[in-house]
Amino acid sequence: MNTFQKGKFLFSGTSTTESLELLTKALDASISGIILTDNNQPDNPIVYCNVAFEKMTGYDRNEIIGHNCRFLQADDRNQKERDILKKAIHEGTECTVDIRNYKKDGDLFWNELYMAPVKNSSGEVTHFIGVQNDITLRKKAEQDLRQQKAFMEKKVEERTLALRDSEAFLTSIIETVREGLLVLDPDFTVLSANNHFIKTFKVTTEETVGRELYALGNNQWDIPKLRELLVKILPTNNPVVDFEVEHDFPHIGRKLMLLNAYRIELEGSYKDQILLAIEDITDRKEIERRKDDFLSIASHELKTPLTTIKGYMQVLQKNVPQNAPEKFNTTLEKISQYIDRLNNLISELLDVSRIQTGNIELHEASIDFDKMVSEVIEGIQASAHNHRIVLKGQTGETVLADESHIIQVLNNLLSNAIKYGPDSELVEVHISNVSEYVKVSVKDFGVGMNAEDKKRVFERFFRGTEVQKRFPGMGIGLYVCDQIIKNHKGTLWVESEKGQGSTFSFTLPKNGKGANNG
Amino acid sequence: MDNKKILICDDDEGILDVLELILEETGHTVIPEQNSLNVRSILDKHSPDLVILDLWMPVLSGDQLLSMIRNSPSYSNLPVIIISASTDGQEIAMNHRASAFIAKPFDYENLISVVNKFLD
Repeated sequence: MNTFQKGKFLFSGTSTTESLELLTKALDASISGIILTDNNQPDNPIVYCNVAFEKMTGYDRNEIIGHNCRFLQADDRNQKERDILKKAIHEGTECTVDIRNYKKDGDLFWNELYMAPVKNSSGEVTHFIGVQNDITLRKKAEQDLRQQKAFMEKKVEERTLALRDSEAFLTSIIETVREGLLVLDPDFTVLSANNHFIKTFKVTTEETVGRELYALGNNQWDIPKLRELLVKILPTNNPVVDFEVEHDFPHIGRKLMLLNAYRIELEGSYKDQILLAIEDITDRKEIERRKDDFLSIASHELKTPLTTIKGYMQVLQKNVPQNAPEKFNTTLEKISQYIDRLNNLISELLDVSRIQTGNIELHEASIDFDKMVSEVIEGIQASAHNHRIVLKGQTGETVLADESHIIQVLNNLLSNAIKYGPDSELVEVHISNVSEYVKVSVKDFGVGMNAEDKKRVFERFFRGTEVQKRFPGMGIGLYVCDQIIKNHKGTLWVESEKGQGSTFSFTLPKNGKGANNG
Repeated sequence: MDNKKILICDDDEGILDVLELILEETGHTVIPEQNSLNVRSILDKHSPDLVILDLWMPVLSGDQLLSMIRNSPSYSNLPVIIISASTDGQEIAMNHRASAFIAKPFDYENLISVVNKFLD
């Protein structure tokens, strides 16, 4: 309600002067800076300012009364807000602008200026009132926010670019690998297939992506083994590693495929998608097979003349004339030994090749363990005239294992014990039950080995530094033994001191194929 | 000891010769044959008491011969020893119901003892 009417100006029933004083004090109590300018005088000079304005600008009222407000802009005269103010003054209307102003000490402050005309009873604009608030902090906060936002946007843009790069990089990897890769959804629909898959199976992306795996290429992928892998094995045994599947594919014929599958368990949009890697190992297997075949044939062909030589040799030994010199017999004996060594070398080479290609098949059968050990010892003892092999302990066990392989290990350990203990007479064999295993230890009192050699003694083609020149060999025997025992899920190890002899021990699970299989 | 007849078939002349040399020590009659295609007729003609066969032989292999012998009513029970340098020789021999298997190179004493087992 208008408080000034008909020459009376009263707030609370006192005099006009008291009311005016009250109004002035109220204005001084305001937090907003307030000024009045006189529109009837040239250049709209300031005729009033309150205390808040003085505080806000740092100017004393005595310094500014009579001045135009523009001194607040200092030299910052190109703000577009000035035009808005000019226009409002010209038209006698109100306006609000955020304008950069400067305090007496030159500090910038953002002034939220509300300017309105004050009219007389005839409606003429006599004054303008300016209500000012220092919004520097708000402006700063807004500006910070804008900067932060711009910064974030820039970052997001950078990250997006980096992600796009990284995606392009990953895609190029996926497209380059020599393995077919499929991504499947949980219902086995193909979400994507890489180039190699497309090429290998002579299909197109169109007839692959979006189709159910089993329906691909006239159901060529409807392979029972694959279904078993994806439906039964994958959910329970994540991931599936090196699963071999042989299948007759319509376009490419019978192929041996190596499958690796992984179900994504991460929460999120990729959850339960399946990555399926398919490698065609048909050629590789074929090459391995040919190599095995070649070595089998080579070994057979080498052994054939060796058999003849050994046969004639034994005939000679059986028919040594009564009066033959001792040298004759010892020479024949030495030839025999070298024939046996040659035969062992041929066998070992074949063994190594088979181990390397993983083609050692176990023919497990129940073995009377103690009997087998005794027989092997008997066999070795027969030709070891300078050594005494003593068997200690017993297991009383029937063990499920490949007998010929275990005999090979025992033969090797015993021959080594004799070979590397040329000056000692005794070799001890100890057999025992240890939990679900049988254990065999072959102890010699020979040359032993240092710690370095001990670490490497089961490596392929490794020969101990000391024994290399004194004892013949190719460094294959213990490697083969180790592989055989590993195949049986047992362990083979050695304890040895240089000059004190060595003890080679191995364990063998009684129930075959390792303790894990119950 | 009765004189028994042992038929040996191996395509390698050396092995055939040395086997003959050794087995003659047993006092039995040895019939050596290099060509596996002739085995059938020798069986019919000489009725040997024991047959020793190599595995890898051209045209007619040892395992084929063994199958033939096992499937023939007149010879199904004839003792047949397979002697081979092949790594899977033992497996093949047992799968074809050989009476025994001897690996090449063989041991003199072992050969004689296995042979005698079927002739004594």
